[in-house]
Amino acid sequence: MLELQHVSLAFSDRARPVTVLEDITLAIPDRQFLCIVGPSGCGKSMLLRLMMGLIAPTSGEVLNDGRPLAGVNLHAAMVFQSFALLPWLTVQANVELGLRARELSEEDARRRSAFYLDKVGLDGYEEAYPAELSGGMKQRAGLARALAVEPDVLFMDEPFAGLDPLTSANLREEVLTLWSDQDLPVRTVVMVTHIIEEAVLMADRVVVLASRPGRVAADLRIPLERPRNKRDEGFDVLVDSIFERIV
Amino acid sequence: MAETRRTPGWLPVAAVAAVLAVAALTGLFRNPGPALRMAAHLVPPIATFADLPRAALWSLLRLTGAYVASLIFSWIVAYRAATRPAEARIILPLLDVGQSVPVLGFFPAAIYVFVGVLGGGRWALELAAMFLIFTSMTWNIAFGIYEGLSTIPAETRAAVQSLGVRGVLLWRALLLPACVPSLVYNSILSWTNGWYFLIASEIIAAGPVQYDLPGLGSVLSLAFARGDLRLAAAALITLIGVVLAIELVVWRPLRAWSRRFGYDTQPAGTREETLRLPDFGLPTLLRPMRTAARALAARLPIAETNRAWSSATRTWATVWRFGRWPVRIGLGLWGALALFGMVRVLLPPWPREAASLPLALLLSFLRINVAYVLALAWIVPVALWASDHPRGARALSTVAQVGASIPATAFFPVLVALLVDRYGGMEMISVALALTGMQWYLLFNLLAGVQRVPNDLRESLRSLGLGRREIHRQLVIPACMPSLVTGSVVAWGGTWNALILSEFVTYHGRVYQVTGLGALLNRATFQTGNRTLLFLSLALLVITVVTFNRVVWDRLYRYVNHRYVLEG
Repeated sequence: MLELQHVSLAFSDRARPVTVLEDITLAIPDRQFLCIVGPSGCGKSMLLRLMMGLIAPTSGEVLNDGRPLAGVNLHAAMVFQSFALLPWLTVQANVELGLRARELSEEDARRRSAFYLDKVGLDGYEEAYPAELSGGMKQRAGLARALAVEPDVLFMDEPFAGLDPLTSANLREEVLTLWSDQDLPVRTVVMVTHIIEEAVLMADRVVVLASRPGRVAADLRIPLERPRNKRDEGFDVLVDSIFERIV
Repeated sequence: MAETRRTPGWLPVAAVAAVLAVAALTGLFRNPGPALRMAAHLVPPIATFADLPRAALWSLLRLTGAYVASLIFSWIVAYRAATRPAEARIILPLLDVGQSVPVLGFFPAAIYVFVGVLGGGRWALELAAMFLIFTSMTWNIAFGIYEGLSTIPAETRAAVQSLGVRGVLLWRALLLPACVPSLVYNSILSWTNGWYFLIASEIIAAGPVQYDLPGLGSVLSLAFARGDLRLAAAALITLIGVVLAIELVVWRPLRAWSRRFGYDTQPAGTREETLRLPDFGLPTLLRPMRTAARALAARLPIAETNRAWSSATRTWATVWRFGRWPVRIGLGLWGALALFGMVRVLLPPWPREAASLPLALLLSFLRINVAYVLALAWIVPVALWASDHPRGARALSTVAQVGASIPATAFFPVLVALLVDRYGGMEMISVALALTGMQWYLLFNLLAGVQRVPNDLRESLRSLGLGRREIHRQLVIPACMPSLVTGSVVAWGGTWNALILSEFVTYHGRVYQVTGLGALLNRATFQTGNRTLLFLSLALLVITVVTFNRVVWDRLYRYVNHRYVLEG
């Protein structure tokens, strides 16, 4: 369970305070797939970084399983739009980075990275460098890196935005498969996207943020059966209703 | 970023204050005059062929020592600038001034200070030389590290943080690798710079000062002064051999290796490649070293190191909380004393020679501009020719690169031997040395500019029926303006150094000089020992260069980059 209680975030831009997020209260129960949508500049990514513990809120509290966050949320992991792999490390070394930070033995780290690289379909690419991979494969590596630390919560910041349509459709399916995989410890996924169809296709629940300052404008359940399809009955209605709330 | 390591905040301030205070305090409490004279008795032994390997080794040691010192200093400064925006606002302008000031002007002053403080021994001289080389290297390296640290993409940094990476692992996985490309690139520039000043300092030490600073520069200078042309040629060849060998064996492989640390994902083949020289067998030599390093790193107890480090910083924070006031008061007193010393030195009555300062400045300024115009006069036509002959351009940039890596100061004794008492003598030497110093850099920059002119633009002009000359005037010259100005800023500023060396020469036991700022600086240190004149000419030199950069080059640079930059 991840909770935000009256969280606000403000920056000072040349001594002028700019409110990015205002009074956000949100509870994300375990085993939920949550999507955050909103216009660009509404602070979606900032909200994700707050929950990851990369930045601290100006006021309010972020709680993970009832305990307030102090620093980086070590029960969570994050996937980025730009993949954010270290170009000087091999795929395997990239995946093992979080494990080495958690002081796993070299053997355990190797075993675990092999397991997750296999899960995302990258076995055989352990020794490759990120520059040698295609965009889709890079994001698979990013996914493996996040999963390898065995997080309770997985944050994804527009993970498919840098990929071509076919690749992103494939990867979307795979993320859903991984999420429902009982072998994996990931219970909760929080994904930021600006594509409403993507949110309706994947999420149990969609939170719409309004911009300037960012606040929760709507909080909807997606009652569609899984596996979903864009031609499912009610799909367009849901997309349209979310779209109306954004504009 | 999450790195919350605290280094004492007074460190950079203390460094500046210490340099200032030492400089001024030397004059307050102690008269370095006798020490300077004492040191002058350390007359260098007569050099022979057998001394060459030893001299080469000493030169290399001096250079390496200064390089290592620059690395350490640059890391501290650049890291602070990159992680603390408030400090960056102070540090970056300071670095900029440091880079644009002609450091050779400080060599006489450095000798003065080091000899004054440490006495006239060999160590004082070695430190003065290393300090000079350090000041020629460190700004560039600091900028390189700063660039590396500050261009880490925000998402990459967030990703590494979100994995819980901290402390030693953060340095090993992110901060150090991120700096490698710009650090290596700027190290090569700094190293080349270092050679220039190393040779210059050895020549000055062997010439006007007559100290014993064994090295290739002093052997070269002494051999020429005695008229021993065979030894001089051997020294010159040794020097060029050593410079090129290091370029091929160390820097070139390092450069190739550093490319893999870029964020750039495009394949290596599409990058502009100015030249390819064989990479000698170094990779085979490096592989076992790398394996050893990996094995060592794997055994490094990261957790313990982190814990030890954080407990050390905690202890330091406690000590600092109680100790900072005495330290600050002490520093304040020292600073006040230093300021007092500076003011006392600079206060009138000024020596009579001070009246010649404006004329000296004007003449030095003219010499540099003559050299600059001469350099442009041959480089612009050559670059234009190269723009029509791509293969020629590549060959030329190889020449420019090799030419630039050989320290121009090494040819200075040759120039002196050839030109002294002939063809306008010292004036010619001054201008010629300035020219040899700046021309390669200008050529190199201009060639790079020419090679960047897009071919489709050129073809479109040709299809409109424009002739070669028209294309040069309408396209190539405007497109090269940014590179030309960039090259000019560095070349013009760096050339002031050449004047310090070339306006005051000892040859065959006689002193040759012209009226100029460089001559005044040398005379104030080595002949009259006049502090006031030394400080005055230094101040004038620095103010002139910094002001000219601000008023002329900066504006030109902004204008040209605004007006002439090719889109895409």
